[in-house]
Amino acid sequence: MKLTLPRISQFLFLALFLFLFIITDYRGKDEITVAVNSFFRANPLVLVSYVFAVKGFTLLLLPALLMTIFTVVLGRFFCGWICPLGTLIDLVTRRIPKSAPIRFLKGSFKYYLLFTLLAMGLFSVNLSGIFDPIAILIRALTFFFYPLLGYVGRAGWSGLYQIAGEGRDHVGFLYYFLRDYVLPFRETFYPLAFFSLAVFLFIFILERFERRNWCRNVCPLGTLLGLLGRFSLFRRVPGRICKDCGDCRSHCPTAFDEEILQADNCIRCMQCRTRCRFNRVTFPLRWKKPFLPVTKEPRQPVMSKRMFLGSVVSGFFLSRAFSFRHPEKDNRLLRPPGVKNETDFLKKCVRCGECMKVCLRSALYPDLARAGVTGMFMPVIIPRLGYCEYNCTLCGQVCPTGAIPRLPLEEKQKSIIGTAVIDKNICLPYAKKLNCIVCEEHCPISSKAIRFETVEDIDHQGRKVSLKQPYIVDDLCNGCGICENKCPLEGRSAVEVFARKKG
Amino acid sequence: MKRRDFLKLGLTSLVASQFPRTLFGQTAPPAVAVSEGTDYAAVTRKTIGALGGMKAFVKPGSTVVVKPNIGWDRKPEYAANTHPLVVKTIVEECLASGAKKVKVFDNTCNDARRCYENSGIQGALRGMKNVDVRFVENDRFRKTALNGRFLKEWPLYDDALNADVFINVPIAKHHGLTGLTLGLKNMMGIMGDNRGYIHRSIEDALCDINSLVRSHLVIIDATRILTDHGPQGGNLKDVKVLNKVIASRDIVAADAYATTLFGMKPQDISTTVAAYKRGLGEMDVKKMKVLSFRF
Repeated sequence: MKLTLPRISQFLFLALFLFLFIITDYRGKDEITVAVNSFFRANPLVLVSYVFAVKGFTLLLLPALLMTIFTVVLGRFFCGWICPLGTLIDLVTRRIPKSAPIRFLKGSFKYYLLFTLLAMGLFSVNLSGIFDPIAILIRALTFFFYPLLGYVGRAGWSGLYQIAGEGRDHVGFLYYFLRDYVLPFRETFYPLAFFSLAVFLFIFILERFERRNWCRNVCPLGTLLGLLGRFSLFRRVPGRICKDCGDCRSHCPTAFDEEILQADNCIRCMQCRTRCRFNRVTFPLRWKKPFLPVTKEPRQPVMSKRMFLGSVVSGFFLSRAFSFRHPEKDNRLLRPPGVKNETDFLKKCVRCGECMKVCLRSALYPDLARAGVTGMFMPVIIPRLGYCEYNCTLCGQVCPTGAIPRLPLEEKQKSIIGTAVIDKNICLPYAKKLNCIVCEEHCPISSKAIRFETVEDIDHQGRKVSLKQPYIVDDLCNGCGICENKCPLEGRSAVEVFARKKG
Repeated sequence: MKRRDFLKLGLTSLVASQFPRTLFGQTAPPAVAVSEGTDYAAVTRKTIGALGGMKAFVKPGSTVVVKPNIGWDRKPEYAANTHPLVVKTIVEECLASGAKKVKVFDNTCNDARRCYENSGIQGALRGMKNVDVRFVENDRFRKTALNGRFLKEWPLYDDALNADVFINVPIAKHHGLTGLTLGLKNMMGIMGDNRGYIHRSIEDALCDINSLVRSHLVIIDATRILTDHGPQGGNLKDVKVLNKVIASRDIVAADAYATTLFGMKPQDISTTVAAYKRGLGEMDVKKMKVLSFRF
């Protein structure tokens, strides 16, 4: 692999991406200045689906607007210069033997996919994050690879103790560096880890058919960038395979399935230019007809009225097809702090998994079924596993679209996730006449949203006892879930947080 | 140890064993040192000095655990965690007495990183040599036989079990269940697992733990105390600044004396009473030798 400028850029952005991923965590400061959300805030697919779904704009996505403009000027360069998933594909694709391309994907599939997704967004169901390549990558990292790394690091370290005893201290500095700066702080396992991994691996399985198969035939972000790139000021010349050579067919990773350059798929990777034996390839400025789309060439999938209408209709149907929600599950649909409106959340959430990565107490998990299919991968709090830390505002800081709003601490502390409810059938002072009050002890509200009454009673052995019986002050409870988390009952907690309708 | 020393010690021990136990220490009134002042480092030093100085507790080359309360994600002024200056001074004294290693930790209630950071304790001890301020690691709890009244066995932190000297440094706070949380209850910070379980019989459970892991020295931070809505607090109105530090070898005596600072009687605190009854120390303030200093 020759180290050309685009390659260097690819590696730098991959390194940057991984670095940002690692530092999207609590590092002793209440504020996170840069996070991996940069990759979403500069993501035109996120921008377009946000605008379609919300029918508005947010300044958070200004970088995406700039990226859109750059793409209109330069073409679909993101895929060949920046996209970390594309870089990973480039790194492994040569080791994967190819059979023939899948014909089904060769038509207008990717356009249908993109426009159906956007049409669904128009009907307030924004699923683009499920297919967004960066989101796929981060989900696989957050839910599978990063916990795996943590496990390998920790298990390896304690395994080394079995083998080398105190001798392992010679490499202690290495482990401590990893533990303090790289490995996850807490051992957390995520639901949907396997599915996230499967989606990620599916992209590499696609490489068995042709190079950058996902990028040229499926990826909705790439498709969108390709459409925008049609207007590019630069255009590859010559526009077709040269009769006397034809090497570009193997050099080009995306755009030469045919004799003619598939302009939508040209990712500006410069492979053809670098490797051309005759130095024929150039990307000159189109002085004469700048910004005019190049769609007139034959056999190029064109945006037709039919496709457009078809996408809108299927988008509409699909947006309504998964509306069923189970009321009891809705009860436990605990969204991150500051999320006021479920419909609004559904429109804005990219399902990128960053809030779950950053969550201090590992309270947030990707949802599978609580909110129906349309809520897949969106964050829910599972209080028995982790609670919302009272003084922490990190999830709102890393959310790329403001689906979880970035709130000042005092406001976040008052924003309501739900309300705790005590089950007297199992709560110790009520059910067993034993004192406990662990919930009251942990309640972070300074005037205590859990209080207790002291009641004189006779216990089951006939002894006089003074019982402290807890109760919830609904107006003060913000549903952080620490009570449910710390309740010392085995299995089900005697105090549980339920989503509260906000008036 | 030389052979002569060994023989001497052996012989005296043998002779001593024949005397009634009361002759050695048991009935001698427990000393409780109390100092007051706004320079918390000086106050802490003075309090330890009154008990014979840290050298009386820490022998050169020993491993010391200093166990403050770092349980909550609160800033020092909220009186939810032990004051960082008190902790720092104790650690310095340990090192000055020749401690090989000083370990400072707590099994926190809130996120450990936030507690260590915002309590100010991690910052106060940063860069000190031979001092470990590490988060509690789950695989280092050892299932330990207690054979107590309530707890038969429980996972306890290995650092606490292996320490040559254990210095218990709680902050004096209000607590919903036990009235106050002081030295006896601060030992919950070496417990692993689902430790909220012990709340159902907290008096016996704390005695069980404190019988196994004895605090060689208890230093109660009462520089500021939390008078209500403990142990988390969160409201400065509940905080009272007393500028006091209390120390004793006797954990029950230290707790009992600290109770009086809240205008309460030691008899009001069931954990103190239980510990007294189990012979863990003296709870009658009148029977203590209180050494007060003020500056």
